[in-house]
Amino acid sequence: MREKILEILTEVRPDIDFENETELVSGNILESFDIVQIVAELDDEFDIEISPKDLVAENFNSLEALEDLIERLQDE
Amino acid sequence: MNKTVLTWLEYMARIKPGKTAYIDEKNALSFEEVLKKARSVGTYLIKKELSSGPVAVMTERSVDYIAVFLGIVYAGHAYAPVGGDIPDERREKILKRLDPVYIFTGDELKAAFDTAEDEELLSEVRKNCSVTDPLYIIFTSGSSGDPKGVITSHLSLMNYIEAYTSVMGIGEEDVMAAQSPLDYIAAIRDIYVPLLTGASDVLIPKEYFMQPDVLFSYMNEMKISAIGWSTSAMTVLSKLGAFKENRPESVRKVCFSGSVMQGSVLKEWQEALPEALFVNQYGPTEATASCTYHKIDHPVESDEIIPIGIPYDNYRIFLISEDGKSVPAGEEGEIAVSGVGVTNGYINDPERTKAAFMQNPLNNSFEERIYKTGDIGVIREDGILMYHGRRDRQIKYMGHRVELDEIESAAASLGIIGSAALYDEEKELLWLFYSGETTVRELSIGLRKILPGFMVPRKIKNLPEMPKLPNGKTDIRYLRSMINCK
Repeated sequence: MREKILEILTEVRPDIDFENETELVSGNILESFDIVQIVAELDDEFDIEISPKDLVAENFNSLEALEDLIERLQDE
Repeated sequence: MNKTVLTWLEYMARIKPGKTAYIDEKNALSFEEVLKKARSVGTYLIKKELSSGPVAVMTERSVDYIAVFLGIVYAGHAYAPVGGDIPDERREKILKRLDPVYIFTGDELKAAFDTAEDEELLSEVRKNCSVTDPLYIIFTSGSSGDPKGVITSHLSLMNYIEAYTSVMGIGEEDVMAAQSPLDYIAAIRDIYVPLLTGASDVLIPKEYFMQPDVLFSYMNEMKISAIGWSTSAMTVLSKLGAFKENRPESVRKVCFSGSVMQGSVLKEWQEALPEALFVNQYGPTEATASCTYHKIDHPVESDEIIPIGIPYDNYRIFLISEDGKSVPAGEEGEIAVSGVGVTNGYINDPERTKAAFMQNPLNNSFEERIYKTGDIGVIREDGILMYHGRRDRQIKYMGHRVELDEIESAAASLGIIGSAALYDEEKELLWLFYSGETTVRELSIGLRKILPGFMVPRKIKNLPEMPKLPNGKTDIRYLRSMINCK
């Protein structure tokens, strides 16, 4: 799953080192329209629904955080 | 008419000294504090005995910088905000074109604010100020990759702010929420509407716009009542499903501008805020932010096309045909603007100024300066203006003005010749096709050093070779078909 998430993220922003970045949202590294694209593709790929309450910095600041979020949503 | 924007500030500081003017994450400034800080910055700069000309400000998202802008005005200069987060190469191009007499940076904030105001020096400068003086210079995208600095006078700005305020019905009781960065044209509403009306303005942290629940909760806590946002910010929120469990419940006045608003997005906002007034606004930086508005007077349908409306006070809008003639109602023509809102052209750039600002070709009797927008429109029989796109390669991407040529010329400066930038309007995606050894990652990183983030295509594709037409030009239609876009 990690690989797939990384692929989606890198497609949108090839310039970002997603494996090491830990402030993707709170550091304003991602832009709001990156998030729109990333959310749409993650929803599709993992058959989940990322809702507004999930869209907080803690869930999007790093690759690990995103992985946790997706696992959580898949279990629901 | 009041002499300059400083007259607004001084009046508000006198009648509402303790009322909050601007709020950011860390600080709040009352009108009296803004006045005091601005006068200190003014004194600080006058003492430097600068020659006449603009002062650049390396701007951050903080209320202090609004006081700095006004302080520069007190010192008798126009201010030019330059975002702290833009790529170095772009900043250099802007500074080269601007040729400022001084560059104000964050390092001197304390020294400037700590300067004791000198009434004598300030009033000496003030005596020579005129309402036609340049107030600010704001840079916008240029097709050759060289940004253009639009010079706007106090008069143009004050006229626009008065017109906007009266259309939106904004008053002292309103709390506005600023979305735009301070170096963008949209910020002029957030800066100047409080000075005219006594309303308060909250600078919302940028990252909240990626976190709808956080954003709406913050807006509710601050009791935000009026917003003037980019269409794209509203679109992003609606695409993120922002209204599922929350809404900015105290918002009653919504103005949007920057790009075409989809009926489906507006419908969602209207349903979330049934009591709010929604106004579509249209216009370029060159016409002082906006020149027309349209009040939406009914719940819209998903596929509805929203008009761009009628001119604000003291603006005139008309259409010109390709051969410089007037255009009858119902037919397409280029949108031209005249009146007080027409700005003073591009700084240190007579050629590009002359190409866009000119004598009205329909008026042979007296001097009448117009700005040709490059936008195509139709004026309906009922006098309402509709937007019909552009003839050149300028697009609106996420509310920002983007010249596709500028992206290609940035790629060329990285050694990639013959790339093609495309915009898929339906999916709101910016593409760049190229061929060569450079990897997508290298190109993306390279572009980020030259272009602002929003201009760097999120879809970059390396092709074995670029498709060509028999005449040697790139086959754009083929590229469009590759991405399934019309």
